[in-house]
Amino acid sequence: MELIFKLNGEEVRLSQVPGEESLLTLLRERLGLTGTKEGCGVGECGACSVLLDGKVVNSCLTAAWQAAGREVTTIEGLAGDEDLHPVQRAFVEAGAVQCGFCTPGMILAAKSLLDQNPDPDEEVIKNALAGNLCRCTGYHDIIRAVRRAGKLLRGETS
Amino acid sequence: MSSFIIARDLPEALEIMGRGEARIIAGGTDLMIHLRQARLSSRQAPPVILDVSRLPELQRLEPGAPRPFVGAGVTFHRLESDPEVARHLPLLAQAASMVGSLQVRQTGTIGGNVANASPAADGMTALTALGARAEIASLKGYRECSIEELVTAPNKTTLAPGEIILGFTVEEAPPAGQVFAKVGRRQAVSVARLNLAISLDPQLGDPRIALGACFPSPRRLRDVEKLIRQGEPGRQLWQAAGQQAAQHFTDVCGWRSSAVYKAPAVTRVTERALERAWQALGGAA
Ligand code: FES
Ligand code: FES
Repeated sequence: MELIFKLNGEEVRLSQVPGEESLLTLLRERLGLTGTKEGCGVGECGACSVLLDGKVVNSCLTAAWQAAGREVTTIEGLAGDEDLHPVQRAFVEAGAVQCGFCTPGMILAAKSLLDQNPDPDEEVIKNALAGNLCRCTGYHDIIRAVRRAGKLLRGETS
Repeated sequence: MSSFIIARDLPEALEIMGRGEARIIAGGTDLMIHLRQARLSSRQAPPVILDVSRLPELQRLEPGAPRPFVGAGVTFHRLESDPEVARHLPLLAQAASMVGSLQVRQTGTIGGNVANASPAADGMTALTALGARAEIASLKGYRECSIEELVTAPNKTTLAPGEIILGFTVEEAPPAGQVFAKVGRRQAVSVARLNLAISLDPQLGDPRIALGACFPSPRRLRDVEKLIRQGEPGRQLWQAAGQQAAQHFTDVCGWRSSAVYKAPAVTRVTERALERAWQALGGAA
């Protein structure tokens, strides 16, 4: 059986994927997409966050086969050829990146939130990012970045 | 190496389960952790992983029906965001909103919560208070049982090999004074140290209280329910109920070291949850 799904807009077909393999392992080790990070491996840190049909999930807790017929977006799929995605840009501009290990997961969680709710208040942002741990920034600048990303996406600032 | 089968319909799923070597996956939030542990300790993965998350039977969600039904494959996120669930089964909506992170709520399912029987499972405590019954299917047919009969100890259920939980029914729409409360290490994401689910009706004729996480499996506090049935609504009764709940807790668990903080926590959480439930019914505090 072939595992077929859409990854960052393009169809992938893979054979011989074990049933127990996680989506995280598949992305990093089989496909070489190392933007998705492994922190805890048990669903606590959010470093492995990806979008599955637009919703943020922990790829360490998702079996690769659960993606069958669905659409997966990783951090590699966000930027255009030239430009960063507005959420990425906001993180850079707000100084929300230090070591960067949490950043791909944070950005995808933020994107998933902003797609559903373009103008979240601070409580909503905190709740949506509660599953993403950051060891460096103290979160303050991350929350600022998400608010800024909201403004960029709403076209209120450039 | 496990093979992965995405069940197309219920008969196919039951047939595969009937062969006795498949493990069920719904959201994956528990199973993937088990598989990882198995790999780390060089234990074998199950021969077959059966994905039941796309079965329509398990996705059915009818909170407003005369006999409300919640499919086993419904995610916590769906429970916390569906307006009908908020209207008819607010207890379940509240409990679902307190489970894990958004990532976990968007994949984790209420059926998985019960089938894996983690003592800290928030959804399970809410279902217990609602008096919900699990609907279970296998090749042999259907059966129904209460959550307390189904979940007997940490990670232990009376599910037989080959059985699949289809979902949960609530006998009748319970009254609207429903409150879920939880104590954990931090507010977000953390696993519950204790959780409490309460439903009250204006006459206090059918109060239901379930306490979980601090017991091997969630249980109804029937002695506390009786006390409430016989009392006058108000602060005194809520306080007495809180104390009775703590008594029940220490009777079952004894004075272990953690009881030093858990018993007073049970008292206060119960008292406050009753107060909130009564207020939700329009009563004075
Ligand atoms: S690596 Fe997946 S949540 Fe930490
Ligand atoms: S920037 Fe280092 S963990 Fe967040």
